Amino acid sequence: MNIDEIFDYTSFTIDREPHIILDPLICAGCEQRGCVNSCPARCYSYNEAEKSVTFVYDGCLECGTCYIVCDRNAFTRWRYPRGGFGVAFRMT
Amino acid sequence: MKRTFQAIVVGAGPAGASAALGMARAGLDVALVERGNFPGEKSMFGGLLHRMTSLEELFPDFWNRAPLERHIAKKGTTFMTAESSFHVQNETTNFSRTPYNGYTCFRPRFDRWLADEARKAGATLITRALVEDVIIRGGKVCGVKILREGGILEAPVVVAADGVLSFTALKAGLRRPKFNVGQMAVGVKALIDLPKEIMDDRFGLSGDQGFANEYVGCTSGVRGGGFLYTNYDTVSVGLVVHLGSLRESGKSPYDLMNSFLEQPQLAKLLKGGRLLEYSAHVIPEGGYDMIPELVGDGILVAGDAAAFCNATGVNLEGINLATHSGSLAARAVIEAHEQKDFSRKGLTRYKALLNDSYVMKDLKAFRHAPHMLHIDRIYQEYPELVCSMMEHIYRIDGTPKSSISKLLLRELKAKVGLKNALSDVFTAWRAL
Ligand SMILES: Cc1cc2nc3c(=O)[nH]c(=O)nc-3n(C[C@H](O)[C@H](O)[C@H](O)COP(=O)(O)OP(=O)(O)OC[C@H]3O[C@@H](n4cnc5c(N)ncnc54)[C@H](O)[C@@H]3O)c2cc1C
Ligand code: SF4
Ligand code: SF4
Repeated sequence: MNIDEIFDYTSFTIDREPHIILDPLICAGCEQRGCVNSCPARCYSYNEAEKSVTFVYDGCLECGTCYIVCDRNAFTRWRYPRGGFGVAFRMT
Repeated sequence: MKRTFQAIVVGAGPAGASAALGMARAGLDVALVERGNFPGEKSMFGGLLHRMTSLEELFPDFWNRAPLERHIAKKGTTFMTAESSFHVQNETTNFSRTPYNGYTCFRPRFDRWLADEARKAGATLITRALVEDVIIRGGKVCGVKILREGGILEAPVVVAADGVLSFTALKAGLRRPKFNVGQMAVGVKALIDLPKEIMDDRFGLSGDQGFANEYVGCTSGVRGGGFLYTNYDTVSVGLVVHLGSLRESGKSPYDLMNSFLEQPQLAKLLKGGRLLEYSAHVIPEGGYDMIPELVGDGILVAGDAAAFCNATGVNLEGINLATHSGSLAARAVIEAHEQKDFSRKGLTRYKALLNDSYVMKDLKAFRHAPHMLHIDRIYQEYPELVCSMMEHIYRIDGTPKSSISKLLLRELKAKVGLKNALSDVFTAWRAL
């Protein structure tokens, strides 16, 4: 299984508006970055050169992991996508 | 949009649909609100539906009605290392007689069916509706706000059945704003297709018989375990890992999953299968000690939202506790309507019903199980110990054999240390 091919396995209807928004200032001061390794969809990545965390919400499985592992409450928004958007499981 | 109901249920998962079904059958005008395009669209789980007596009361021939895959005829546990495995298994024809002890199923089908039964009984099912807030007046919950232009639903009582993160319970002040990472796990699952005949041959099944297997030692030292459940012509395989331990390890769920799928004995079982779907979801594993406030003025909490999950180490029970607590919430709401009292006091009957049921009794009985499951050696050293013991016992190589007790002692000393082993036995004994 290659996580970068997640869109081949799982269906998503992507909203224009993100359902999770991070405060970059809070993340900039974070040493732990539990979100980066723990997210099962690899939505978070860490750029070593720029020392910054990037977040892409497109392939979010709406699992809740980042909401729990982040100790610094870096979310200016953490909600589920609007009704009708986001991940759509077919038979799991 | 503004509408008034006699009750509102947030979330059309097993808990919410059971609550709405119970209320609708009693003649209440109830709204069942779901954020997905249809109930079950957002839901995943391992795949094992345990027997649900509360649904058998509503559907005496449950197994003929619900969209199920196979009934569980065989249960096993495998201790695993990167190279070896030791497997124990129980099979009895008793498990192939109704009422079955468990089933495999798909949530997008099962949840949709159950919510549809609620709708047929008279509930109003509102989909594509994300509840973003509760309406509180005079300290009492009296409705919900939907993230759609000005959507407001009102009712004297709301049931929060919106799953583990329950923002509804949070907004009503019933759950703490911050979860304890030590009480949470995340599950990842791969759905793999395998033709029915191949599956029946590989797993020794016939007809609708199914196999449920749990794995220990397959998580590269991270606290957690694996599972494999047979559906009709697909297999659900995955891992459940503890979030504190995962975060600390720096490892990623999909990497752990790939190592698991590549373990030689498992790889053989899945050979030729194609990945159809990948999913993940968080599980409240803290048990009794993480239960939030269950009742407030005008509000009740049921299912995962109330942390009603029992991770005993042998089984992960969730759906059965969700449906049962949902049905009890319905009873409490029906009685509150009779008494016309929706205050915290009027709804407290819910707690009494729960305390009298297996939901609370089991959660209490297994209250200390999470402590045992925090013995990190269970996830690596002990499975290694079991596998290497068995290898020594089976191996014939011309060297004299040691007695089994000597062998055990030697392996235990080398892999775990005697002091650790004693302390683990003590922890396990206290937990159980
Ligand atoms: C990996 C994994 C494996 C599992 N394995 C098993 C198993 O083998 N057997 C078992 O019995 N249990 C298992 N469980 C546990 C089981 O899935 C849960 O206990 C069960 O789903 C809880 O049901 P629920 O109705 O309380 O919540 P959920 O199933 O989470 O349903 C909540 C519903 O509410 C909706 N919702 C959420 N927020 C909102 C909102 N704001 N507005 C509108 N709708 C909303 C969601 O879309 C969803 O439909 C497993 C869980 C996981 C994650
Ligand atoms: S989201 Fe939280 S855990 Fe992740 S980098 Fe930001 S502060 Fe750290
Ligand atoms: S909810 Fe889950 S899948 Fe989505 S970003 Fe957070 S950790 Fe990743």
